[in-house]
Amino acid sequence: MATDTTLGSRAAEIPATGEHLSSDDRVALLRYMLLMRGIEERAMSLYKQGRVPGSFYDGFGQEAVSTGAAFAMGPADRLCVLHRDLAAHLVRGVTPARIFGQYMGRAGGVTGGREGNVHFGDRELGCVGMVSMLPDMMVVATGMAMAFRLRGEARCALTWVGDGATSRGDFHEAMNWAAVQRLPVIFVLENNQYAYSTPLDLQFAVDPVERARGYGFPGERVDGNDVEAMFEATRRARERALAGSGPTLIEAVTMRMHGHAAHDDMRYVPQELIEKWRARDPIDRQEKRVRALGVDVAALREQVAAEVEGAAQEALAMDMPDGAGALDGVFCAGEAEPLGDGHAPWSRFREARDA
Amino acid sequence: MPQMGVSMAEGTVVGWHKRVGDWVEAEETICEISTDKIDSEVPAPATGRVSEILVEPEQTVPVGTVLARIATDAGAGDRRSKIAQQIGRHPEEHLDAPAAQAEPSAETEPARPVAPHAPEPAQARTNGASAHRERRAYSPVVQRIAASEGVDLSRVSGTGRGGRVSKQDVLAFLQQRGGDVSSEPAQPSAPPQPSEPPLHIESPYVEGPGEGPQRLSRMRRSIAEHMVRSLHTAAHCTSIVEADFSGVESARRALGITHLPFVARAVIDALRVHPDLNATLDGESLTLHRAVHLGIAISLGRDGLIVPVIRDAHELAPEGLARRVSELAERARAGELSHDDVRGGTFTITNPGAFGTLASTPIINQPQVAILDLEAVVKRPVVVTDGAGRDSIAIRPMAYLCLSWDHRALDGALAARFLATVRARIESWESS
Amino acid sequence: MPEMTYLQAISDGLREVMRADDRVFVMGEDIGAFGGAFKVTDGFFDEFGEGRVMDTPLAESAIIGTAVGAAVVGMRPVCEMQFADFISCGFDQLVNVAGKMHYRQGLAVPITVRLPTGGGFSGGPFHSQNPEAWFMHSPGIKVVAPATPEDAKGLLISAIRDPNPVCFCEHKHLYRRVKGEVPAGVYETPMRARVARAGSDLVVIAYGAMVWSALDATEDLDGACIEVLDLRSLVPLDEDAILDSVARCSKVVIVDEANATCAAGAQVAALIAERAFEYLDGPVVRVAAPDVPIPFSPPLERAVLPQADDIKEACRELLAY
Repeated sequence: MATDTTLGSRAAEIPATGEHLSSDDRVALLRYMLLMRGIEERAMSLYKQGRVPGSFYDGFGQEAVSTGAAFAMGPADRLCVLHRDLAAHLVRGVTPARIFGQYMGRAGGVTGGREGNVHFGDRELGCVGMVSMLPDMMVVATGMAMAFRLRGEARCALTWVGDGATSRGDFHEAMNWAAVQRLPVIFVLENNQYAYSTPLDLQFAVDPVERARGYGFPGERVDGNDVEAMFEATRRARERALAGSGPTLIEAVTMRMHGHAAHDDMRYVPQELIEKWRARDPIDRQEKRVRALGVDVAALREQVAAEVEGAAQEALAMDMPDGAGALDGVFCAGEAEPLGDGHAPWSRFREARDA
Repeated sequence: MPQMGVSMAEGTVVGWHKRVGDWVEAEETICEISTDKIDSEVPAPATGRVSEILVEPEQTVPVGTVLARIATDAGAGDRRSKIAQQIGRHPEEHLDAPAAQAEPSAETEPARPVAPHAPEPAQARTNGASAHRERRAYSPVVQRIAASEGVDLSRVSGTGRGGRVSKQDVLAFLQQRGGDVSSEPAQPSAPPQPSEPPLHIESPYVEGPGEGPQRLSRMRRSIAEHMVRSLHTAAHCTSIVEADFSGVESARRALGITHLPFVARAVIDALRVHPDLNATLDGESLTLHRAVHLGIAISLGRDGLIVPVIRDAHELAPEGLARRVSELAERARAGELSHDDVRGGTFTITNPGAFGTLASTPIINQPQVAILDLEAVVKRPVVVTDGAGRDSIAIRPMAYLCLSWDHRALDGALAARFLATVRARIESWESS
Repeated sequence: MPEMTYLQAISDGLREVMRADDRVFVMGEDIGAFGGAFKVTDGFFDEFGEGRVMDTPLAESAIIGTAVGAAVVGMRPVCEMQFADFISCGFDQLVNVAGKMHYRQGLAVPITVRLPTGGGFSGGPFHSQNPEAWFMHSPGIKVVAPATPEDAKGLLISAIRDPNPVCFCEHKHLYRRVKGEVPAGVYETPMRARVARAGSDLVVIAYGAMVWSALDATEDLDGACIEVLDLRSLVPLDEDAILDSVARCSKVVIVDEANATCAAGAQVAALIAERAFEYLDGPVVRVAAPDVPIPFSPPLERAVLPQADDIKEACRELLAY
């Protein structure tokens, strides 16, 4: 059923995947999620202090979706990151201070004040920033995959897409194109139950994950609040992609635990739904696993909190951009530099690099 | 030939399914055509008998060409009331043009912004002159020139609509000033041809010539006869010199006229020095003329060429020559030249350089003994020598002057001396 | 130099640049084995293979969007819109994704979008448009519109080598109707205006097919010496060349085949009003299509699209002003 917002028994308890993740990897997954939550919470307080202009969007409760998927990606893979997927940038190597600078429109932010929020991509780290017209980046990711295939490269592209965006034409164009050309691309459908205030039953009659088969490739439903399940599903999709078997649609079922933006009190969401999902918090769940490994989680939290505060202070010291520069860079005047490689902290990639 | 695609310009008939005299039903295939994009069968547009096939197989024709005619029976058995049907009729020839074309209503006819948007009273054309005299508005460029040159614009008479003062009027006024300022300033002379060499580009919109041979127009036949006779009569030689137009260039810009009147003036001066070239040769009888009646070749586009004569041209300054050329060109193009306007010339100047040519070998206008050809004035690097004898390379507006002369009447040395004089006159021109 | 049609020149430029640069590939609807709706890529499939001569699904948004993706990972895609009109379906990817990318995050998007523009052949409201002004209004996109075969080839090569998104407006009416000498080999035509014919009494400013209409209309107009300025590039707009012509001629007629309001010519008129006011000897006159869709039937279409006679009339009016 389209309105079935919880996972059925099929996917509810995917076991932790020790097979592909080392203990360090599992801690790293928790660490990236903590970092994302810590940065977004601190940014929200900066927003309330009037230090973040415009509006503020976060991914509270959805940290596993971006962390798990990005963690499965290799350095030469390319990502188009959505606005509730801050952890993907952290995994790829963007430093927290530059992210705070980005939120506050500082010269030292990732886009130097040209863009706000999570509308950014670090060219040198292999990410393309999103545009607000959703799901435009699905098509762009498809095009990256097309170039990889054209050149015979073993790489893949990944992008996130929201439940609301599945209604737009570009969703269809990308799904169809990727299928026709059997492209190495992964679409992570981040189903967080609401598109702004619009619930799923006003968005579609058939769950979009069902559509994948209609286009001619697999669609897989995953517990989006289980970071290791997200990682595992993405890892398998990437293997398929690199083997030439074409695209995969991963539906990450999760819940947007905050309003659409800072100005939205989301009174349209039933309180019991919030409570139900609070019990499934992705950070709590990964903490239990990591604690079972004997890791001092409290120390990890402290360490992350210190890193976040240090980054916030660093960003607060950054200059605001000079208005005189507002006209620069509309056109590229020199050589077109393509995207660079991103960080790929999964132990398998590190081992491969060190070998 | 039907249009089988938006970019198709021509097509080839592959073969006919019907012959002349055959009966053909509407929509039945009558022939096959081929373009560089597709091959297609052409269905007959009407029922009737094929009366004519106009394009043979393998022939390539432009879109819109009539391929064949079908005679249709208007009434039962009435063979005389045939209506010729055309295949591939040009859109303009559609019998059933939309009603909107026949009777465009005020609502449906699209308004097209073609006219100047400046406020223009409806009566300006009729009584504008007096209206403007009461309250004259000047364009920005006129005001700018007037301010910098100290011109009282109320003393400048305008030739624009309703007596409006144009830029050319002010420039003409400035030219006259220094003499009697209160006199009416000269009419501005519209240069008959572009003063700069245009890039030569064929317009795609020129209508192609019709199919099959066409008889030359009367004017073309007359030109043909005259040219061939001249070539058979005179011993044509062509000599070429190059002249530096720097002085002329600034002078002509100040006056707003072309190079031609300056060259004409230089030629007239040179003819006074070398009267052997201001002559007519009839068989064995050579006549030298004192007065210079200068012929100027005027192109009438595809129609041909005509050489009106400026009588007593030696009495005119460049501005006067410019005005006369302009008048003659206007009358030539309006077809208003009289027989007297085109005879009695003693020397001719032609000016194909206005269209960018660099060198030509003109044909002498009989019975004259020489013709001078002004080529395009183009900027070239040239070696110039200063007063101290030092050489350097400078960018100068240069042009070739090509003189065709009749070796029966004179020799190369004289032609060369004449050209040297012309060149010296041109190069010594100083802007006043 | 070989003589080519405008269409052959485009094809020739594309072929030469593909031979010279492996990063260049073409994509679009029906462009592969079929060779394209207008046959621009005829023979490309055999020479370059299906990878570099890519038949795409009927999906203009995805054509532009995937080209952006390919470009940011190092390719030089050349997209063909079957008709320029269809770019409306890819508008978002072009103006929001491609056009703003470099400004937002310093990421260059070297894509070329070939747009077969223009009317005059009963194409009707959806096969006749001149949408170039849409993109002039969108920062980050270059727009070029050649009139001659030589410029068509050279500007296409310049567009492909440019590190930015470039809309290459190729006028369908010129495809097989205009021929000219085209240099062999790979050469770039600068994105600057060209004086098509020098003059002094009045300047007609135009681009694309209207350059020919302007030349035709003013070839012999009452003995007046009329300049024709071919803009060639709309973004960047060659402001110096425009101002220079206006300073010399003082009277200006601006011709657009596009709908009049906010067209390229409107921008040119505004520029002249702002920066050449002191040189004007009459009102700036515009000839453009009125703001109606381009109708199908020939008499209606002729009534809407600017004709040589309209330009002639406008010039006469202004000369007499």
